[in-house]
Amino acid sequence: MSISMSFFSPPPPTHLLISFSSKPHFTDKTIFFLRPANPLLLSAPKVSTDNGAGISAAIEEPKAEQKVAEPAGSAPEGEESSLGSNGAVADAGVKLESKFVDPRWIGGTWDLTQFQKDGSTDWDAVIDAEVRRRKWLEGNPESSSNDDPVVFDTSIIPWWAWIKRFHLPEAERLNGRAAMIGFFMAYVVDSLTGVGLVDQMNNFFCKTLLFIAVAGVLLIRKNEDIETLKKLLDETTFYDKQWQATWQDETRSSSTAE
Amino acid sequence: MKIISPSNLTVDFGSKTLKPHESIPMLRREVLDSFLRFRAQSSGAHLIPALVTHLEVPSSSTEPYIIHHTSNNTKRTLAVDVIIGADGANSRVAKSIKAGNYTCAIAFQERIRLPEEKMEYYQNLAEMYVGNDVSPDFYAWVFPKCDHVAVGTGTVCAKPDIKAYQRGIRERVSHKINGGKVIKVEAHPIPEHPRPTRVRGRVALVGDAAGYVTKCSGEGIYFAAKSGRMCGEAIVKASEGGEKMVSEEDLKREYLREWDSKFMKTFRFLDLLQRVFYGSNAAREALVELCGDEYVQRMTFDSYLYKKLANGDRWEDVKMVLNTIGSLVRCKIVEREMEALKV
Repeated sequence: MSISMSFFSPPPPTHLLISFSSKPHFTDKTIFFLRPANPLLLSAPKVSTDNGAGISAAIEEPKAEQKVAEPAGSAPEGEESSLGSNGAVADAGVKLESKFVDPRWIGGTWDLTQFQKDGSTDWDAVIDAEVRRRKWLEGNPESSSNDDPVVFDTSIIPWWAWIKRFHLPEAERLNGRAAMIGFFMAYVVDSLTGVGLVDQMNNFFCKTLLFIAVAGVLLIRKNEDIETLKKLLDETTFYDKQWQATWQDETRSSSTAE
Repeated sequence: MKIISPSNLTVDFGSKTLKPHESIPMLRREVLDSFLRFRAQSSGAHLIPALVTHLEVPSSSTEPYIIHHTSNNTKRTLAVDVIIGADGANSRVAKSIKAGNYTCAIAFQERIRLPEEKMEYYQNLAEMYVGNDVSPDFYAWVFPKCDHVAVGTGTVCAKPDIKAYQRGIRERVSHKINGGKVIKVEAHPIPEHPRPTRVRGRVALVGDAAGYVTKCSGEGIYFAAKSGRMCGEAIVKASEGGEKMVSEEDLKREYLREWDSKFMKTFRFLDLLQRVFYGSNAAREALVELCGDEYVQRMTFDSYLYKKLANGDRWEDVKMVLNTIGSLVRCKIVEREMEALKV
């Protein structure tokens, strides 16, 4: 299944900055994370012994059903109660409370010890589990509770896990495209003008074309992106125009202004 | 204040970063409005309780404006030189001077009296909820109001569905408001941007009538009061204490230009925040993640409490921008994966 690349603004800087964007973040948040994690780790062994059989099954499942249509398996009780609560939503007063239930979701966060693979945490599975949880919540908004607060946020997953899974394949694709276009264009220009690669690089016009080509490959990956970029530009200046509207009257006579 | 994301990630906003003399104020309009009127009256303003029916705009600059109003079931008129229109989002003054229209959001709120032990939780705490189930382009709130809470939401683009969104927020706080009784239901339009014309002739608009409501937070009370004060001071200065006639140029120069130069940056910045963070559930998740950061909270409070875009430490600013990009990217990725699951 292809991952559709629809990064919103600002795509280019993201690709350039992402390598060190989460680095300071990582150092900030690890310290943060280690503290709350410890009580979890202390209580986890107790939990894992209870669900001993369940754990290995749970780990196999997400790996096997990575891109399966329905979120089956991990939250069966959640599914059934969600069907029940959907029926009861129309009721003004009494409602069925549906909660997201998963053996690995403990104390408002994912219990990372249950995501172990070959001795280290399987971050891909954590990402998948979180995706499934948010998908479920989107369809069944859950009442927030004070006794059971959610403390999981995406910064717990380390930056390199994100890069390895999402950025690298895309970067490979884009670099491949750039290389193919570059080679082909260099050949075409050389055959048409006789200017070799080194001389092309020295020429200002060619450098401009190269810049446009790189920007194009980064910004426009689907036909829809052109429309998106145009709309973005409009939106950015719209609010300003609304504020300046009162000063436009100075250039027109006030009797005709409306 | 607590900010709660669509996936119920709860971030505490301010309990550690607010200084002891600072707080996020909650307001009861009925109390504030009567206080302001009383204060104006004791400073020498002449209060006329009446309903303004329409405004006659004179054809020359030496003739007065005639305000037609009804008080005690009698129609009366009042001739004045200068008018400050402070009559809110459905301003009649603005209509009379053909100031133009603006897009409005609708804010819908239910005041709910809670049982004692549930009210205990909200004694010193306000909550802000974001998510597509409570509002597609704004936030929903639970604000304490002394002895009851106000639970409400708002939207610009989906006004007919406001009842559904109100149901959504009530479900999200369902066991925190269980057993409460609705004592009042209120709704009001909230302007989203200034009117095309804010000053025409010798009439100036202030507050909601002019459209001075920030995006993102929907704050208008401070700007209404401040613009009223600035406009009043402008008129006093331009008319030299009431001796000279005031003209449109005077109003524009002393009031509008001052106002724009002082606050336009704030409004623009909040518009940017709204566009970036209120567009989708993914962006809202990123917003809530970012609000957990102490520097973000400190900067927010400095700007919000003192009404000036705060200047922070440059290095921290850079880190904050990188964190913003990181959070947005991560949450966008999760959202994309979520859509892949559906398909």
